[in-house]
Amino acid sequence: MEISKTKQGIHKSRGGLIRSFVTLENGKIKEITISGDFFLFPEDAVFLILENLKGTPASRESIQKNIEGTYEKENIQSPGTSPADFTESIMKALEA
Amino acid sequence: MEEWRFIDFGLVDIRDMMAMDEAILKADEGNTFFFWTPKKSIILGYFQKAEVELNLSRCRDYVITRRISGGGIAFSDDRCRQINYGVVGTIDNDLFPLDIIESYKQVCGVLIDTLIHYGMNAAFRPINDVTVDNKKISGNAQTRWEGKLLQNGTLLLDFDIEEMLRISNIPKEKFLDKKIASIREGLTWLDRELGVQRDMEEVKNVMKEKFEERFNVKLISGSLRRSEIELTSSLLPKYYSSEWTYR
Repeated sequence: MEISKTKQGIHKSRGGLIRSFVTLENGKIKEITISGDFFLFPEDAVFLILENLKGTPASRESIQKNIEGTYEKENIQSPGTSPADFTESIMKALEA
Repeated sequence: MEEWRFIDFGLVDIRDMMAMDEAILKADEGNTFFFWTPKKSIILGYFQKAEVELNLSRCRDYVITRRISGGGIAFSDDRCRQINYGVVGTIDNDLFPLDIIESYKQVCGVLIDTLIHYGMNAAFRPINDVTVDNKKISGNAQTRWEGKLLQNGTLLLDFDIEEMLRISNIPKEKFLDKKIASIREGLTWLDRELGVQRDMEEVKNVMKEKFEERFNVKLISGSLRRSEIELTSSLLPKYYSSEWTYR
């Protein structure tokens, strides 16, 4: 995706900064990218979080539920950062 | 007393160092404590995108790569007065607790003991910072691999804060919750705190002593073993590639 042409959502969790870039199609997430200085184990699970969000309706509830699902399935740990924090960052990008 | 390997890599190209760092974690050659000092460079955290976090047109004379752990950019100016360290250890006892924040606290204790040795008011600030009078003097990043942890961190002896601000895009959200007006108020370094320049080798020796005390081990100078050298060679193309750095 073209980050420079996409609006940014910024949210600071206790574990770090989360910057989100999102595009929509018919009310659903089409493309999504995240950049930040948070910690998440195992690290490569971040790509699954993003992949699983594609096609998700652009509502706070759907997004958070989707991320929580990936957390559970992949046994993700992210000290100081929760699925609600990622959701907040994404919502800010959508509202930007 | 248990013996652990110690290596001082000296002044290094960070792409070579990040390959050796990953190799030490993954080659399984035992617990190791190591130092290096980066040449002028920027290391991105695993989750950071270069085009978002950096003002790339101002970074042309920097070597840039990415590391395998999360956290924020590690910026090194050409003053080269930074002690970077790495610890690789097995997560099996009180020395390296399973709990992520507890294990950060344990390793950061080496830095805190070192700063206290120099009379400073040093403390651990969860999740991964060491502060002096509430100003960050050391950032740390950890990852884990098959029951082992790798923690990297830096102790700033000198730091060109204006240059870091010039080359990076740090939004105000990063520091507003710390109740400071700018990053300038939130960072410090050893030379500034002490008012004199300590010899870097002397500070490293204090860190080594504090490490031995805290972990109750003896550090024995060594070098990379064959398996680590081979793994490093196979990892080097990744750290030199734009696919990895600019993904």
